[in-house]
Amino acid sequence: MNKKTIKHSSYTLKPAHIIETKYLTDDIKYFKLRFTDGTDLDYTPGQFVMVSMCGVGEVPISISSTPTRKGFFELVIRKAGKVTSDIHSLKTGDKIGIRGPMGRKIPLSTIEGKDLIFVAGGLGIVPLRSFIDFVLDNRRDFGKVEILLGCKTPEEILFKDEIKDWEETLNVEFNCTVDKADPKWKGNVGLITSLIPSIFVYPERTYAIVCGPPIMYKFVIKALLEKGIKEDHIILSLERHMKCGVGKCGHCQIGNYYCCQDGPVFFYHEIKNNWEAL
Amino acid sequence: MQRYYVLNKNKLINFLSFIQSRSKLAAPVKKGEKSYAFEYITDLEKIALHYLPTILPVKKYFLPQRETLIEFNKKTRKTTHVIEFEELTLFGVHTCDLVGMQCLNAVMVEDPKDINYLERKNKLTVIAFECNSYCDEHATCGIMRTFIPSSGYDILFTEFDTYFLIHIGTTKGSEIVNESRLFDVAQKEHFDELNKLRKRKEEIFKPEINASYDELKKLMERACCTGAWEGIFDKCLSCGTCTNVCPTCYCFDINDDIDLNLLNGCRMRTWDSCQNEGFAKVAGGENFREERKNRQVHRYMRKFKYPVDKYNMYFCTGCGRCSRACVAKISLKETMNLLSERIKL
Amino acid sequence: MKPKVAFFDFACCEGCQLQVANFGEELLDILEVVDVVNFREVMSENGEDYDIAIIEGSITNQHAVERIKKIREKAKIVIAYGACACTGGINAMKNNFEMPEIMHYVYKDDAKYFDTIPTKAVDQVVKVDYYVHGCPVYPKEFVDVLKCVLQGVEYKVPEKSVCTECKLNENECMFDKGLTCMGPITKAGCNSWCINNGNICFGCRGFVENPAKNAAIEVLKDHGLNPELIIKKINMYNTVLDEKLKKKGEE
Ligand SMILES: Cc1cc2nc3c(=O)[nH]c(=O)nc-3n(C[C@H](O)[C@H](O)[C@H](O)COP(=O)(O)OP(=O)(O)OC[C@H]3O[C@@H](n4cnc5c(N)ncnc54)[C@H](O)[C@@H]3O)c2cc1C
Ligand code: SF4
Ligand code: SF4
Ligand code: SF4
Ligand code: SF4
Ligand code: SF4
Ligand code: FES
Repeated sequence: MNKKTIKHSSYTLKPAHIIETKYLTDDIKYFKLRFTDGTDLDYTPGQFVMVSMCGVGEVPISISSTPTRKGFFELVIRKAGKVTSDIHSLKTGDKIGIRGPMGRKIPLSTIEGKDLIFVAGGLGIVPLRSFIDFVLDNRRDFGKVEILLGCKTPEEILFKDEIKDWEETLNVEFNCTVDKADPKWKGNVGLITSLIPSIFVYPERTYAIVCGPPIMYKFVIKALLEKGIKEDHIILSLERHMKCGVGKCGHCQIGNYYCCQDGPVFFYHEIKNNWEAL
Repeated sequence: MQRYYVLNKNKLINFLSFIQSRSKLAAPVKKGEKSYAFEYITDLEKIALHYLPTILPVKKYFLPQRETLIEFNKKTRKTTHVIEFEELTLFGVHTCDLVGMQCLNAVMVEDPKDINYLERKNKLTVIAFECNSYCDEHATCGIMRTFIPSSGYDILFTEFDTYFLIHIGTTKGSEIVNESRLFDVAQKEHFDELNKLRKRKEEIFKPEINASYDELKKLMERACCTGAWEGIFDKCLSCGTCTNVCPTCYCFDINDDIDLNLLNGCRMRTWDSCQNEGFAKVAGGENFREERKNRQVHRYMRKFKYPVDKYNMYFCTGCGRCSRACVAKISLKETMNLLSERIKL
Repeated sequence: MKPKVAFFDFACCEGCQLQVANFGEELLDILEVVDVVNFREVMSENGEDYDIAIIEGSITNQHAVERIKKIREKAKIVIAYGACACTGGINAMKNNFEMPEIMHYVYKDDAKYFDTIPTKAVDQVVKVDYYVHGCPVYPKEFVDVLKCVLQGVEYKVPEKSVCTECKLNENECMFDKGLTCMGPITKAGCNSWCINNGNICFGCRGFVENPAKNAAIEVLKDHGLNPELIIKKINMYNTVLDEKLKKKGEE
């Protein structure tokens, strides 16, 4: 067998270094990264990158920052298994290999000027933060912004400081519910779907953007449709097992879609008849 | 370009020796009573000219079972993308397998292109061998219309009593034929024979499934989420064999390996299968294709529905490998026939 | 500092330890990255301090339970090594019999002098960090596990069957030879070692995750095996895994 090397392919890694890192909870860590060559990651909210730990493996991770802020990008990673545990061992100054951005670039013009409802379950807030910050950096260009967050416990709520900022200075309605309250918790208790009926929407100019654990979607979509929000106004970010990120390996397939290329962000009407989507 | 030639049968050995002088040669050899495999050939006597479809299709040369994508060094942090390839001539590729390679090709040239596949493909020469009759009862090349070779080869051999009729598919094929100086230009009598053979073949190869070619996709659409699959996959063990042996399956896994000093390593891809338990599972335990039956339905959809929408091609060549190799004796032909009975089109 | 490794044997044939001695050149590479301080079959001196405990054999009596607990306390990392340690192995076949019956069968009238308990895989008694399956272990997999230990990451046995590896190696299928084979429901990771060498798979690595057990019984029946023999074949390496699956099913 002969061997040759090439400069660039779908699998080549681009080195980035960690410029800041901190734990958000016991098992969730935040990373601020910058490409070593100083270039920016050219991405759209909803996209993700493949993060490489050479010798251990590679995992898909959503980009949590907004492309409106230059010079860095941010990832928030939960320790879930082999590769993510290894990523947690990294410190400021360490280097890491990145592929991407991966996934569909959804046209943000569709949501411009519209009222937005963000529905996040647990870690689902991580990719939604990219949209949220994008919207907030262009606050005048959007209508009402409502964020609904559901978490298991109050400790699991990420970005608490930022949320305060969103509420206080950026004209955002924020509502949160937890499955299990602790003595200090004064907010809602219950499923995220319980937050939807009481919000006020103008259906024709409202878009909902949803991300959370797999079981959440069906119920949230039902509640949103009941509010009169149209099928093509519901945007969902789906998770699947991913290996290549370039539409070849087959792991992420959802019916006829490759989640890594055709998604992970879909409009509800595109996948409502897909037997494997929800 | 002269497109048709004749090779006298007793010159075949000279031709193959000529091939060996140009590049490595791989051809089918007998591995067991009913098992054949493409292997590197040094001893030409070992080649099985008439053979049942090989255990693995020739896709193993285009997309090897295991392949290095990246090499890295943890200390220097240097990573390089590598491509493994070799000059190789495949002799004796059946017509159904030609279509298999075209399916694979459609996937790999789609953006983002798979450079490893493309580079490797360009180094391979394909010499096809036409089937004049069915290989066995598992074949469905009749309905899939893959028993008549149309393209996908550099050179095609069609066998007659005392000679092979040769069709040139590419300039590379033409060069080989000319350089070897073993071939004669085909005459009218040879074309007449070819036409007769092809007509005879239309009589031999008949649709094995009770549906028309165009209806196969509709059959899948209608059957997909219904009870039509009831009982068919009860004995499926999710062993993954039906996908590994399929010429149009290309799913893979990517894993890292590193030496014991934890210094140098590589990232490899290995064939994977949608039938495997872990294929669609994510951290946290959710398995998006938990039910065994759904994994099989997914496989059928990937043969007869999704690629038709995307590439306008069925991704089944009718080679019958999946049925031949299934230890649970689940047959594609029987499955499709059962579905066609159960579903009104 | 090289991590210190100690081998401990419980109820087993010690064939897996022998396997390490058979590594040949690879062994030298291994000894470059770890210090072996206790290894009965290869070295004579006994070390005391160790970071990594490699456990061979299954737990079959109360004394062994105490001993393994002590080892766990001391070791930073515990590796179950070989089928006996990982899944109870062949030893666990005895669990398919009533205890007094088996005691009598083995020890005749002396049975009352022995303390025995149903065979347990190591992880049924203490926490296990890594598994090297197989009877005996497949040397390359041991090296792979060791690499994961050294990198401080988990090792995952591929959730695939031996058939997937067997097909990649393009072996003639044993079923086509008129034989039967446990490959379809056995955990991959041995690179279909046995079939590559002309033998059937006995299933020594244990079931795949979520095995299609009933279907497998039907398929083996279709291939002419009698049901009693099928159960025996399956039990050979899966008794403990079967117990675990049942428990999971009940939950
Ligand atoms: C589009 C997308 C965006 C994601 N964004 C984030 C994020 O922002 N933050 C975060 O913490 N997690 C995110 N995840 C989940 C994250 O990718 C998994 O937790 C991670 O792959 C687990 O890998 P592991 O090696 O640690 O776990 P293991 O269980 O050891 O996984 C082994 C391999 O399986 C695959 N795999 C397993 N689980 C998943 C999964 N859930 N999704 C995709 N592949 C998987 C990976 O290829 C991985 O290498 C995202 C997943 C997807 C698909
Ligand atoms: S080869 Fe047969 S038993 Fe194995 S996964 Fe395919 S259909 Fe199931
Ligand atoms: S599905 Fe079966 S018959 Fe069709 S190409 Fe694949 S292996 Fe051959
Ligand atoms: S399936 Fe048809 S084309 Fe393929 S080997 Fe058999 S007879 Fe030939
Ligand atoms: S020989 Fe055994 S492991 Fe190999 S394919 Fe056949 S059944 Fe599977
Ligand atoms: S082929 Fe089967 S018996 Fe042989 S090592 Fe692998 S699992 Fe064990
Ligand atoms: S991750 Fe490989 S196809 Fe989507």
